[in-house]
Amino acid sequence: MPLHAQAPAPIPDKTHVIDRSGEPVFELRSVSHSYGRNKVIFDVSLAVWPGEVVGLVGDNGAGKSTLLKIFAGYQHPTSGTLRFMGKDVRFATPADARAMGIEAVYQDLAIVDQLSLWRNFFLGKEIVRTIGPLHVLERQRMRREAQQAISELGLTRVRSVEEPVWTLSGGERQSVAITRAMHFGAKLLMLDEPTAALSVRETRNVLASIGRARDHGLGVLYIDHNMNHVLPVADRIVLLELGRVVRVMDRGEVSLEELQDLIARRP
Amino acid sequence: MDSDTSQKPISATPSAGSRVQRRSFAEILLNVRELAPGLGLAAVVLFFTLQTRNFWSPQTMTAISTIASTIAIVSIGVTMLMICGEFDLSVGQNFAFTPIIWAILFVTNGMNEWLALAVALALAICVGMVNGLVTTIFGIPSFITTLGMFFVLQGLNNLLISGHQLIMFDPSSAISLLGARIGTTPFYMPLVWMFIIAGAFWFVLARLRYGNWTFATGGRVGPAKAMGVPTGRVKRTNFILSAFFAGLAGCMQFAYLRGVTQGQGQNYELLAITAAVLGGTSLFGGTGTIWGSVIGAFLLATIQIGLVLIGVPGSFYVTFIGVMLVIVVIANVRLGRFGTNQA
Ligand SMILES: Nc1ncnc2c1ncn2[C@@H]1O[C@H](COP(=O)(O)OP(=O)(O)OP(=O)(O)O)[C@@H](O)[C@H]1O
Ligand SMILES: [Mg+2]
Repeated sequence: MPLHAQAPAPIPDKTHVIDRSGEPVFELRSVSHSYGRNKVIFDVSLAVWPGEVVGLVGDNGAGKSTLLKIFAGYQHPTSGTLRFMGKDVRFATPADARAMGIEAVYQDLAIVDQLSLWRNFFLGKEIVRTIGPLHVLERQRMRREAQQAISELGLTRVRSVEEPVWTLSGGERQSVAITRAMHFGAKLLMLDEPTAALSVRETRNVLASIGRARDHGLGVLYIDHNMNHVLPVADRIVLLELGRVVRVMDRGEVSLEELQDLIARRP
Repeated sequence: MDSDTSQKPISATPSAGSRVQRRSFAEILLNVRELAPGLGLAAVVLFFTLQTRNFWSPQTMTAISTIASTIAIVSIGVTMLMICGEFDLSVGQNFAFTPIIWAILFVTNGMNEWLALAVALALAICVGMVNGLVTTIFGIPSFITTLGMFFVLQGLNNLLISGHQLIMFDPSSAISLLGARIGTTPFYMPLVWMFIIAGAFWFVLARLRYGNWTFATGGRVGPAKAMGVPTGRVKRTNFILSAFFAGLAGCMQFAYLRGVTQGQGQNYELLAITAAVLGGTSLFGGTGTIWGSVIGAFLLATIQIGLVLIGVPGSFYVTFIGVMLVIVVIANVRLGRFGTNQA
């Protein structure tokens, strides 16, 4: 199987059927987005159902990361609506999205280097004891839980949760961000090129984790340039071209070669 | 986070455990950011102790401790702001503006001293709010915003007391609380306040969520925002802290000296930043310590008074500080203490 030759991924069992009769976890309806005068997303509609992995693919600059940031509340779309579990939502900040169980691993906004690992892990989701107006960090508890999550999800080489994160390698930092998203993600998990800096072993780990998240009923939005990674895990593949959805493919609808040709062709 | 380095890290994996235990006591000590400035201060104190006869005299202690404590209080607010990645060049003018307002209301116009103090400090807070709002809403460098505020306040100070000195004759309760002598010691109230404020903000940085957010905002604002940290609000709050403590320290100086001129606090914006940097705070945000800034302030004050004691012309002090500042930053960059992890 050439498909799995590079980085074997978990093969979902054949009976895995997605129930799309209910409400999607998350949905974009006719969303457009501009950075200043530069319009980069044109009337995109996209839904992710519970227990579904949607692979979002496309050329550099197609707008994949921008869509993820809109989902995550980091960017506010210029027009269109966002729906979460069947209700219209507006996220003022990413904190609102995270409060609803939406977690993202960003391509370019993963980690604050100067903070220690456990502080990065719990950043924005700190466990605190509230004393009057003060939010006192529960440091021992966060250290313990970060350590536990990291060893459970396979980042075993991490020395100590006290180390500032800049002492970690690029791949280790990426793993911290992924582990954090897996730990806090309750409804929707979004990963933007999570395997870009990872070894074969870590990549397998991440793909397996995506499979597990899906089995737990989370929706997953997965962005990657490596179709060897996307094809085996994605239930649907959405092809984005210059800010527009040009094709939606179900599992098994395209082969690896067809998919690669589709992305590579000049629009 | 600085205090954390001394804590014993928890580790579940065996490899992690052995790696951690191999860290020697010396290594842990080297990780304490206050160590280098602390040794620097010790060296300077030792030098002046040996070179002068009256370094430990009550007069010298009074001079050093009052100069150091007012600079330190200004520097604590500035340090909070620098850690979250911003500067405040208006603190020196605020250091004069706030007590001028207080003195005008209370000495000249006979307002209740506490009410007058509250109004003056509220104005200081307003200055900080304007700095913060302009910087975060328009996304311009705080260097520019607060330079503008520097000139605005300088103009106001000129206008308000043009060349006069406002003098306070009768000691009052507010004046005593902020500036009185502590018993028969050579020390004055600003020193006590400095320890209280420094302790409080050490706690804020090391133990509160707000401290975590301040470090994260200055470390890298994008990821901090993406994780849900209200980075704009954090910055605006720190602008207010910086302005408030500059104003409060100015009021303490007024209370101690019983007088204020428009020249009070001249250069303090730069001395506060210098104290912070000497104490190990990064110019790029994301790292810094409160006690380091306190040590930095004592370093500045000790050198200022010490040079006078050994007969060096007083004006040479700033020249000396300028050279030292550059050397310390070069050493820090060389040692990778800061600036290395901004990529
Ligand atoms: N912060 C920004 N400001 C202005 N323009 C931006 C910004 N971020 C992205 N863009 C523009 O938006 C377009 C889409 O960018 P986006 O990052 O979403 O692409 P992408 O599909 O994720 O690409 P890649 O595969 O390279 O990560 C690009 O043309 C880019 O130049
Ligand atoms: Mg991208």
